Parts: sequence; structure tokens; C-alpha cells
Amino acid sequence: MSGMKFVPLVLKTVIRNRRRSLLTLGGVATAMLLFYAVQAMQQGVRDATGKTGDDTKLVVYRLDRYCPFTSNLPQDYASRIARVPGVKNVVPVKVVVSNCRTSLDVVTFRGVPPESFDRGAFSHVNIVDGSIEDWKRRSDAALLGERVAYRRGLKVGDRIDISGITILVAGILTSPEPQDQNSAYVHLDFLQRAGENQVGIVTQFDVTVTDPSLLQATAAAIDGEFRTDREPTATWSEKSFVARAASDVLEIVNFAGWLGWGCLFGVFALVFNAIVLSVQDRVRDHAIMQTLGYTNRLIATLIIAESTILSVAGGMIGIAAGVAVTSWGRFSLSVEGLSINIYAGLGTIALGLGLAAMTGILAGLVPARQASRRDIAACFRAV
Amino acid sequence: MAFIECRNLTRTYTKGSTTITPLDDLDLDIEEGSFTALMGPSGSGKTTLLNLVAGIDTPTSGSLVIGGVDIGRLSRAKLARWRGENIGYIFQLYNLVPVLTAYENVELPLLLHNLTRGERHKKVAAALELSGIADRHDHFPRQLSGGQEQRVAIARAIVTNPKIIVADEPTGDLDRNSAAEILSLLRRINVELGGTLLMVTHDPKTTQYAGRTLHLDKGKLLEKAPVAEAGSVALHELRPGGAACPE
Ligand SMILES: Nc1ncnc2c1ncn2[C@@H]1O[C@H](COP(=O)(O)OP(=O)(O)O)[C@@H](O)[C@H]1O
Ligand SMILES: [Mg+2]
Repeated sequence: MSGMKFVPLVLKTVIRNRRRSLLTLGGVATAMLLFYAVQAMQQGVRDATGKTGDDTKLVVYRLDRYCPFTSNLPQDYASRIARVPGVKNVVPVKVVVSNCRTSLDVVTFRGVPPESFDRGAFSHVNIVDGSIEDWKRRSDAALLGERVAYRRGLKVGDRIDISGITILVAGILTSPEPQDQNSAYVHLDFLQRAGENQVGIVTQFDVTVTDPSLLQATAAAIDGEFRTDREPTATWSEKSFVARAASDVLEIVNFAGWLGWGCLFGVFALVFNAIVLSVQDRVRDHAIMQTLGYTNRLIATLIIAESTILSVAGGMIGIAAGVAVTSWGRFSLSVEGLSINIYAGLGTIALGLGLAAMTGILAGLVPARQASRRDIAACFRAV
Repeated sequence: MAFIECRNLTRTYTKGSTTITPLDDLDLDIEEGSFTALMGPSGSGKTTLLNLVAGIDTPTSGSLVIGGVDIGRLSRAKLARWRGENIGYIFQLYNLVPVLTAYENVELPLLLHNLTRGERHKKVAAALELSGIADRHDHFPRQLSGGQEQRVAIARAIVTNPKIIVADEPTGDLDRNSAAEILSLLRRINVELGGTLLMVTHDPKTTQYAGRTLHLDKGKLLEKAPVAEAGSVALHELRPGGAACPE
């Protein structure tokens, strides 16, 4: 006996109990939207801070400083860092953020020497519009990360003032690195002269090592080099650097993880309640079907199918809304000039739908069991 | 051996310390293709007997053998399948599924059978046609009158061509005209489809259509007409225009 012919029957029960189904779907969708949002933040955290075996990036910061305004290092450290064994290249970077608060739409200015693009430090970025040559030619030119450009609606040739710094968009770049996607790369001396004149001072050095296995040793060697200087350094792998700087946000995001599971529980309670009520409402219908020859097992299966359909459909709506919001907004959480993208990939979508389906099945089990154990003749007498 | 054989059939319900015995040590034979009317005061055990025969209730003791199958011994799942193949149940209050249209209600029992959509459609259409309700196939129960709902319920009961149709006061909730129509429909079905019809009724007039009338009181059969006299009436007597059914 093929089960497919019962699918229309279940769908009719869902669709024709319209008010109940819509309310349930609405609730499930809202909860799954929240679940997805939380998952998207956690995914962003993993992308920004998750270490992999082939990380080659180090960040050299001022020892005991935690924010771009207070980490001041002499730019001429660059040549000394370059001589440390294992270092492939060094880029002195000045970081200025458009907004000191934690916000979803922060532009992080990164001033770098124009020639750093020729030295392989940016081999992972891809210019999708405009060109590096145009950027090099003008001192106020900026290369925007795609997410910044998208959020602000900026194109090549646009001139814009962002918190007192006026730039001309010379190119748009894409990059697998969350930090590049949310940055505006400008000329180092342009940024040093903007605001207080701080020529010769940078925030940090971005270092690429020759081999991933040398990451820790090279970091130690760099810090050793400057230990007795007036401005000692603290060198981190880029991922740990983000994790340390954004630790407050990470705590919130991890806490939000619990909210995500709470949302799932909400879905369970909602669907459970809806199905329990509807099964109670339909005691007679189920007794009729049993009289017609439907087995307990079949009735139970139909009820579980119904609760699964409700929760998967609600999950699809909620997750679709979540995907729509995160891809239209391309939000990034920014702290101290570092960015955590709010975006979750196919894996999260699949996880959400899978969990919604599981929740639906679980929520249907108890009512299904109850419905299938009733005494048929007694059901007819009760009504 | 009769088609339906009840031997010492007893059903008791225990609620706390009180035990009710709606059906008490009943012996009854019903022939295949017969039309049996069941009468008796309220609470005399008519519905209980019907439910046992229909396999939606099980005997406390005694045996109930239908077509050679001791249905008291079937497992729940087997009994469900047996019902799907052998029983059409017509209720006093129709008991249609409210979210399904007339057509879908009639199709419901057919979903359990190994039929294609097209085959189901043919059977549903024929049952609706025979019940005289084909024009309302896309109406929901709430859009139908009582008599129309009962026609749909009858179509649902006959669509699988069951060997036994049980009807529990099928006209009890209808006005006189609708009741008469439903009654003649049931009689026609009994004749044309040849199934065994067991019907509870309070209307003495109904009994003239039935080949045999049983009276239940306090769970016991009052008079047990001899089989020779009151067995199934020959079909030709029931045909419209025949002697047994002046119309
Ligand atoms: N599930 C049950 N639990 C307790 N008592 C029952 C149950 N089903 C039927 N009865 C009792 O059995 C008796 C016969 O009921 P029923 O067969 O419905 O009578 P009738 O259909 O002739 O009016 C009634 O007294 C009724 O209350
Ligand atoms: Mg009754």
C-alpha cells in the first residue's frame, strides 16, 4: 500500500483548518526566524574566529592594548618585523572606525601603504569593480569590501563622507576573509593625516608567515624582538585576535545560542499544543476512520505527518525570511573595528529544517499515541 | 452454518464497582444477503450488538463468527483490516468528516484499498450516483441537509462493496419524507448489491421492508423467530413493485 495517496488527505486537514494552521505556522516561522538569526551570528563567529590548519596571518598589536585608538606602534617596526625568520610580508595598518559603538553597520578604515598590494599581502582578495591602479593614483581613493559597498549602496566613482573622512570609491573587493569584506582600504598616510595628524604611527602590523606551522614560533619571535622597546608588542594569530577583541560580543552570541535552543523548544510546545488540541477536536473523525478500516498505526502516522508538515512548513517560512533578511541586509556585527558577518550557509538552513522536522515528529508522537489507543465505540458514545 | 453466528455473545462494561451487561448471552444467526431489523427500547443493547458485529467493539465472552472468521480473536490491526473489507457502517448522526467534501468522504475508505486514482473515482462516482447525491459531490457536510448527509454516509458505507452493512437508527434524526427516502434507498441497496443489512430502528413501519425483525430487551432477544419462517426474504419479493414492498 503506497503511503503517498494519504498525503493529500493530511494536507487537506492542515489547509482546511485554516485558522489553526496559520496561527501555528506563524508561531513556528517566527521562532525559526529567531533560531536562524542566532545560528547566523554563531556561524559568523566561527568564520571570524575559527582556526584552521592553514592560517598564515598574524596581527602585531601594542602589548596590553585592546582597541584601535590606543594601540599605537611606530611604523618603522615594519622593517624589523620583516627580518624575523618565517615572515613572508608585513603590512603596517592604521585602523579607524566610523562608529565606536557595537553596531551592525560600521565601516572600518584600514590605511595601508599603496605598494602592499604588489607584495602579495592581498593575494586572496579579488577586485570585482574598479582597479588597484586607480586606487593607487589618488591619495583619497578607497577600496571597499563588498559588504560595506552593498550596505551603503556605493559604486566606483562615488565620493562619500564617512564620519569626517571623505573618500572616493576606486574599487570594490571580494575576499573570503570577513575582515576584508567590511573594510575600506585607504592609503596609510591619508588616514594618518585625517583627524589628528599621526604620521609615523600605526595601529598594527598584519603579517603573513611563510608556512602555517610557523605561526606560533614567528609570533613569539616578533614579540621577543620588541620586548625591551618602549612600545612592546603582542602578536596574535588573526583568528585569536578577533576572538579576544570581540570577546564581549562572543559571550553575548554564545548566550544567544541558548535562546536559539529556546526557540526550538518553543516550536515544539507550539506544535505539540496545536496537535493535541486538534486531535482532541477530532476524536470522532479518527473513530470514523478506524471504523472504515484505518489501523491505529496509520492514524498515528497521519497525525505525525500533520505535525511534521506544520513544523517543517513553518520552519521553511521562518528560515526563508531569515535568509532574505541576512542577504538583503548583509549585516555585520562590528567591535573595535573587527567584523562578524551575520550570515549562515546551506548547512545552517539544512540544520534548521532538519531540527524543525524532528521537532514536528516529536510533537506528534504523544497525541498520535493517545489517538490510536482510544476505544472506537466509546468515542462515538462520548459525542 | 449461518453467515453471522453469535454464540453466548456477552458484552459487559465495568465502571468502578458496577457492572453493566448490555448484551447477555445472546445466540443469533443471520443469513447472508438478508435484511434484519433490530428493535427495542433505549438502552436494550442494540448499538452494542451492532458495534460487535461491525468489529468496532469486542465481546467480553462468547463467540462471534462472521463468514467463518472468529472476529473476537483478531488482533486490533487485523480487525481494522477486516472492517475495511467487510463492513459498511451507517450512523444515526451521519458521522461525515467535516473537513472533507462529500466526494472525499466517500473516497476515504477506498484509500485503504489497492486502487488507482481512476479506479477510486469510478467507484466513488457510482456510489454517489446510487445514493442519489452525485450533484453534491463537492459540498462539505455543513453545506448539506441531514437527509443529504445521510446519503453521503450511505455512499461511503457501500463504496467498498462490503458484505455487511450495519445501520444504527439511520433515519432517527430525519423528517418523515427524508426518512422514507433513506429507507427505500437502503432497501434498494440490499436488493441490488446483495449485502447483508442489519438495521436498528424505532419505526414499526420499517419492519415491513425487513425480512426479519428482532426485539432486544435488557440485552436479550425477546422472541426468536424460527429460521424457516423469518430467514432472509427471497430477493424478488423486495424488488420495487414486488409483493413485499407496496410503494
Ligand atoms: N462504553 C460503555 N461503558 C459503560 N456503559 C456502556 C458503554 N456502552 C454502552 N453502555 C451501556 O450499555 C447499555 C446499552 O447501550 P446501547 O447498546 O447503546 O443501547 P441502545 O442502542 O439499545 O440504546 C446502556 O445502558 C449503556 O449505558
Ligand atoms: Mg443505540
